[in-house]
Amino acid sequence: MSYGSTIALKRVDLTLYDGVTGLFGPNGAGKSTLLRVLSGLMRPSGGSALLFGEEIRSTRESIRRRIGYVGHESGLYARLSVIENLSLFANLYGVTSDRVDEVLDQLDMREWQGTQVGALSAGLKRRVAVARAVLHKPDVLLLDEPYANLDDDASERVSAAILAWRAPGRVAVVATHGAKRVKAFADAGIIIQRGNVISYRRRTPTGYEVAT
Amino acid sequence: MAERGFVSKTTLLIRKDLLVEMRARDTLPPMLAFCLTVALLLAFSLPGNAVMSDVVDLPVGAIALADVIAGFLWITILFAGLIGFARTFEVERTEGALDALLLVPLDRSGLFAAKAFSNLAYLVAVQCVLVPVFALFFSLTLGADWLVLLGIIVLVDIGFVAIGTLFASLAAQTRSRELILPVLALPALVPIFIAAVELTSDLFMGGGLEAVAARGWFGVLLGFDLVFATVGALAFEFAID
Repeated sequence: MSYGSTIALKRVDLTLYDGVTGLFGPNGAGKSTLLRVLSGLMRPSGGSALLFGEEIRSTRESIRRRIGYVGHESGLYARLSVIENLSLFANLYGVTSDRVDEVLDQLDMREWQGTQVGALSAGLKRRVAVARAVLHKPDVLLLDEPYANLDDDASERVSAAILAWRAPGRVAVVATHGAKRVKAFADAGIIIQRGNVISYRRRTPTGYEVAT
Repeated sequence: MAERGFVSKTTLLIRKDLLVEMRARDTLPPMLAFCLTVALLLAFSLPGNAVMSDVVDLPVGAIALADVIAGFLWITILFAGLIGFARTFEVERTEGALDALLLVPLDRSGLFAAKAFSNLAYLVAVQCVLVPVFALFFSLTLGADWLVLLGIIVLVDIGFVAIGTLFASLAAQTRSRELILPVLALPALVPIFIAAVELTSDLFMGGGLEAVAARGWFGVLLGFDLVFATVGALAFEFAID
């Protein structure tokens, strides 16, 4: 996968398993590009990306409804309030308003529900973005730096939302360059550097084992 | 909650765009300001006592005033529309909402239809102001033929919006999208606006529906509308991805 002459991802060959996988690496390692490929928002220039055995193509509705994604930006409408944004996406995914209330409480955003997203701080926007991504209970959750700009309390809320979402058959990939927070609850960890996966390990009852 | 259907989801997206525009007022005011300024300047460019059937001698030949005013009207609409279409995806760009929208379980043709209807709403709003202003400035008296003009406007708007929305989705991927959009869209828009000017000048000259229809331009407009609405809905997926 490349941007002009810059190769962002080289040979990435891996299988993701149930649970939360931390995706670690320095800035420019290729974490965001990998998440975009996994979400179907970006097509790999070579090879294939499969989700539940099917080719990930952002054009397929059946695949898209199973993905929750947060990129670098919030993915929200600045001129709509928090509740308007979440209700819009809830309606598009066929999710009830009870679920909207649930995620608002989960991420402690009740107080801000009537505020336009454009007026929120970067940290609060991040929380709403995570709320939007988990709203429809996706099978695959892809979070790119979900802890960016968050204080400790808000980070705990985001972690709690991810843990609440975790269930058998669901896969989350959480990309971050600060590994500490995700390591605490991740079931697997991938270290990526200059577009190459240099380590992929899964947590076992006795420690870690190399995964492929 | 049962999942909504195609039309319902598309309607939600149209409502969202219109709500955002009501709050931000980023698109309509520049379009209206452009139209009113141009209309005012054009009004000063013609003699006050001129009538539609007057013929102006130009180096390229004689031209009826009706042709000139019809050209004025449609050129103003063309560029006002392009100003609006260039902002089609601005609402998604601000916070990166396009990614979230592209992952929504809705066929891409639904996204195209939503954006096209939002653009149509802005264009119609502008025309609701511009056409009466033109009528006032250029003393347009069409009588019952106003309905024919309305029909021409509807046919032009469909093709114009389809092309504008499709190319806006392409231009949205570029940094200089406001410059790229006219370059991409204008060649495709030329036939539609030639038909629009021809039909409108015939109407301004006093030809009724029968005279206007006899020249075949309605068929050209209908054909382009059909082709571009279909191509837009089908090609949008590739343009936006």
